[in-house]
Amino acid sequence: MPRVMDIQGHVAKLRTFWRRERRMPGYGEMLGLFGYQSKNAVFGALRKLEELGFLERKRGRAVATGRLTGTLRLLGAVQAGFPSPAEEELADTLSLDEFLIRRPEATFMLTVQGDSMIAAGIVPGDLVLVEKGGTPRPNDIVVAQVDDEWTLKYYMKDAEGVRLDPANPKYKSIRPKRSLVIGGIVKAVIRKYD
Amino acid sequence: MAEFPFTLQSYPRAIMHFDGDAFFAAVEQSIHPGLKGQPVVTGKERGIIACASYEAKALGISRGIALHDAIRMCPGLKVLPSDYETYSLYSKRMFDIARRYTPMVEEYSIDEGFADLTGLRRIHHTSYEEIALRFQADIRAELDITVSIGLSLTKSLAKLGSKFRKPRGFTAIPGPDIPGFLGQTPLEKVWGFGPNTVALLTKHGLKTAGDFASRPEGWAERLMGKVGRELWGELRGDSLYPVETEEKSSYCSISKCKTFTSPSSDPEFIWAKLVRNVESAFLKVRRHRLRARQLAVMLRRQDYRQDGLEIRLNRPVSMTRDALPGVRELFESLIERGAAYRATMVVLGKLESDAERQYDLFEDPVRIEKRAALGEAVDALNERYGKHTLSLAPSLFLGRHRKTDRDDQPQRKSALLSGETRRQRLHIPRLFLNV
Repeated sequence: MPRVMDIQGHVAKLRTFWRRERRMPGYGEMLGLFGYQSKNAVFGALRKLEELGFLERKRGRAVATGRLTGTLRLLGAVQAGFPSPAEEELADTLSLDEFLIRRPEATFMLTVQGDSMIAAGIVPGDLVLVEKGGTPRPNDIVVAQVDDEWTLKYYMKDAEGVRLDPANPKYKSIRPKRSLVIGGIVKAVIRKYD
Repeated sequence: MAEFPFTLQSYPRAIMHFDGDAFFAAVEQSIHPGLKGQPVVTGKERGIIACASYEAKALGISRGIALHDAIRMCPGLKVLPSDYETYSLYSKRMFDIARRYTPMVEEYSIDEGFADLTGLRRIHHTSYEEIALRFQADIRAELDITVSIGLSLTKSLAKLGSKFRKPRGFTAIPGPDIPGFLGQTPLEKVWGFGPNTVALLTKHGLKTAGDFASRPEGWAERLMGKVGRELWGELRGDSLYPVETEEKSSYCSISKCKTFTSPSSDPEFIWAKLVRNVESAFLKVRRHRLRARQLAVMLRRQDYRQDGLEIRLNRPVSMTRDALPGVRELFESLIERGAAYRATMVVLGKLESDAERQYDLFEDPVRIEKRAALGEAVDALNERYGKHTLSLAPSLFLGRHRKTDRDDQPQRKSALLSGETRRQRLHIPRLFLNV
């Protein structure tokens, strides 16, 4: 079977790179990005992308066109050839995902059931975004396992050691006696009204 | 036998193989922290164990055992339905974490992959072993699951390494250590040696992978052809199989197989299940811009006996509807009325690129183009609203065999969030904790 160039795959990879780095990758980087073994193959792919209007060649360098970078900003329609003024302003916007999630590989969702953090604005039914793998700092809200019991609390430190504080006068602060496992740090709360 | 090193260099190439430890069960324990340390198995919906946690393995339970036998062996067993959506999310993340260290990552399967680390010591200011250990620690800290790692000069050696110590294992086999390692590796452990090859090699007096690798060049090729020569080289530290970073797009065949929640003898239902598999298989065919020339259908009976038939299509096909008359014929000749079946399977073979379309003399190009346009519209709708939102009419009969046990649904699907639907859910794993 003849090898088929995966143009759509290439475009997707360039887009991700662009979104992250705000620049085009160099030839060497494209080698890895596209999974090619030779720079000549990269060159061929670039020519194809240029033909399709995803890239332009300026002073021998490949420059991304709006076609490649523009997927996130389809809001401002271009009228009669004049770019909408909003278009430029929207070039550097974040999606809600990017805004809420700092480390996508380490982020999990958890539906809150209890009311121990009610004064912190976290009520039963809320969805919290929890990041694993970090070290909590005082005043962070953490999901933690204290002596085999899972709980959502403020992480605090004092002379006696770690203390977990609720945000609800109904409950008391707790101190781990045997064990403390941090399941993750709460990074955002999501509540939908519908 | 004196052991001569095959190479004196430690890592002319550095290839890491990583393998999730009891992956499905570990993911379940990660999203259900309450299940940590307990014997957990997945595969409830199929009645067979798909994956057993290390706690369950310690009690003698392993993959493939029938569920009722397992429960008899271990009454406290936690049995969960498979949640492939969450497993896939974890899998994706595992590979993304590997890509922090190197762009050359191969997604070999849902729970294992290769990464080429050659030349990365300078960027990360440390040894290859340390890079691999950092990756292993990241996975544990961020995903709360564990992987076992093998690090060596070739894919075959790295894979032997990751299997050597499990779970949470780390086995490095630098060049000078290869002969010693292979000397204690039985033949059947080698990636690519099936039972027949092992039997053949044993007849020639070989016992270990080391015996095989220390045969003279050409011996393996004479016995096993090109593959033999390649494996011989790979085991001696000569990297012949590159880490494939490209997403898999050159398939030899595409197959779909789904087991029913409980066996059924209702032909309409079995047909509906088969059509659903055919739709899924063709969806994948179209996504990779391929067409199929060959089609096989298999029906698995309640007692696991399997009947199958295959046909060659008179022209390569990428649309479900074009293949369906052929599938129906096969189905009619396979099915035995009144017999109970537990699974249907379809295999599409002889795949070729869909780039150039050529018509037969007697075909009606307009009609074909129209059907292709219809197919694209259906795909676009399903892309937008979720897989199988719009599907062929036989799927109406899928409802006939409604699941009796609601517990057969993973929690992700039974406890939907507001705004999620049966077809589409948020692409972030959910933790199930009572806080």
